Amino acid sequence: MWTSLTSNSNFVGESLLKFADSTGIAGFFAAMGWGNIVMIGVAFLLLYLAIRHKFEPLLLLTIAFGMLLTNLPGANLYHTELFAGGHVHWDIFVAKAGLLDYLYLGVKLGIYPCLIFLGVGAMTDFGPLIANPKSFLLGAAAQIGIFVTFLGAYAIGFTPEQAASIGIIGGADGPTAIYLTSILSPELLGPIAVAAYSYMALVPVIQPPIMRALTTRKERAIRMRTLRPVSKLERILFPLIITVVIALLLPSATPLVGCLMLGNLMKECGVVDRLSKTVQNELMNIVVIFLGLTVGATATAEAFLNFRTLGILVLGVIAFGLGTAGGVLLAKFMNLFSKEENKINPLIGSAGVSAVPMAARVSQIEGQRENPGNYLLMHAMGPNVAGVVGSAVAAGILLSFLG
Amino acid sequence: MDWSWSEMLWVALISICLVFVVLVLLVWIMKFFGNIFVHRQAAAHADKPATQGQLHEEEIAAITTALKLYKSDLHDRESEVLTILSIKRAYSPWSSKIHGLTQMPFRK
Repeated sequence: MWTSLTSNSNFVGESLLKFADSTGIAGFFAAMGWGNIVMIGVAFLLLYLAIRHKFEPLLLLTIAFGMLLTNLPGANLYHTELFAGGHVHWDIFVAKAGLLDYLYLGVKLGIYPCLIFLGVGAMTDFGPLIANPKSFLLGAAAQIGIFVTFLGAYAIGFTPEQAASIGIIGGADGPTAIYLTSILSPELLGPIAVAAYSYMALVPVIQPPIMRALTTRKERAIRMRTLRPVSKLERILFPLIITVVIALLLPSATPLVGCLMLGNLMKECGVVDRLSKTVQNELMNIVVIFLGLTVGATATAEAFLNFRTLGILVLGVIAFGLGTAGGVLLAKFMNLFSKEENKINPLIGSAGVSAVPMAARVSQIEGQRENPGNYLLMHAMGPNVAGVVGSAVAAGILLSFLG
Repeated sequence: MDWSWSEMLWVALISICLVFVVLVLLVWIMKFFGNIFVHRQAAAHADKPATQGQLHEEEIAAITTALKLYKSDLHDRESEVLTILSIKRAYSPWSSKIHGLTQMPFRK
């Protein structure tokens, strides 16, 4: 028996070696293995920020976990080669695909961002925007950051498609950024989604210094007139009008705007409460899980650990800052032509970047810092929701030029 | 896509102009509809006879808040006297503890 055991020692050694090679630990010593370790560190950092500091936890937690899964060597949950060249390789898909590859199809085919918009629409009150349609202008001004960053990204060597995807970070709208990037430059999806959601979480840090620098104390203390009440019929007509106008002018923005407005119509019409609650809660939560996981999965070491990612992070914050400044400056400009009783507090201009409702809350807090009796929240919600429409319009325009 | 700088500049300029054009159009449309509704509401209010003592929504909100604050300051009045009642019952074999327990078998 001893002889038979010792004669097979070669076989045992080979088997153990083979097993060791098949483990994920061996993957860390392979090419780009160090990158996986770094990415796992990044995933843990994002998890820490989401759990400890509550930075957009709903999305950042799932994105970070997706990032962790995709960077564990040997897990084979996500394969970049199945989506190489910007399209799905159906011929090898079933044979090679892992769980996250299947889920990623929802991003690739532009389904998740639209479903998220359905839920966002059902949760959004467009009343302040209907009562004060001038807010649309502030929402438009805050999109300036997108186009300036578009040029900036091109200047440092990104292609026009990549530059557009980076610029859209300035719209501060996660689903729109993911939608546009998944079509124009899917290779940048991971870094762009992480940048977009991180900066949205950092709105209370990024925006106030810019708002204070561009306004005087007197301007920050402006009290705005109470908004008029909005009737139910107006609330029902609003999503229908917006859908028809945007779809006719910008067909490429219809999937996003159409879903946003369908969700809002469900909420406002009052006859489909069950559907409205489902899209606000169950559907939204399910899609958030899928979207976060799969977007995180695209952040592989090869895609993330390069100077392009650093460039995206820097350009993203510039886009965000410029958008904030654009909204504030347009509000100041509008005040030059407004009567005293119709003056706009420029602080609400910064809410024109979407980031609903965080940006509106920042306007409220900054306004109260100057004048504790000043309630700007409802006024800021107008530009805030106009920013959602504005960034979807901007994405549609970029798609029509570059798509 | 290979674009020159002048093409990029034009695309950026046209795009931002288009964003403004689309949203200005929406401002006009919403203002147009808004005016119709405001006029309708004003006409409806004018038709209604003014009711004496009718409260505005903000006044109702202020009164409700004041009542809520007042009531949350109130506490239930209690006697503040703590007592321990001694309950005595007459002996009965029906409620006797020793009769309710299983007796251990007696072994010699």
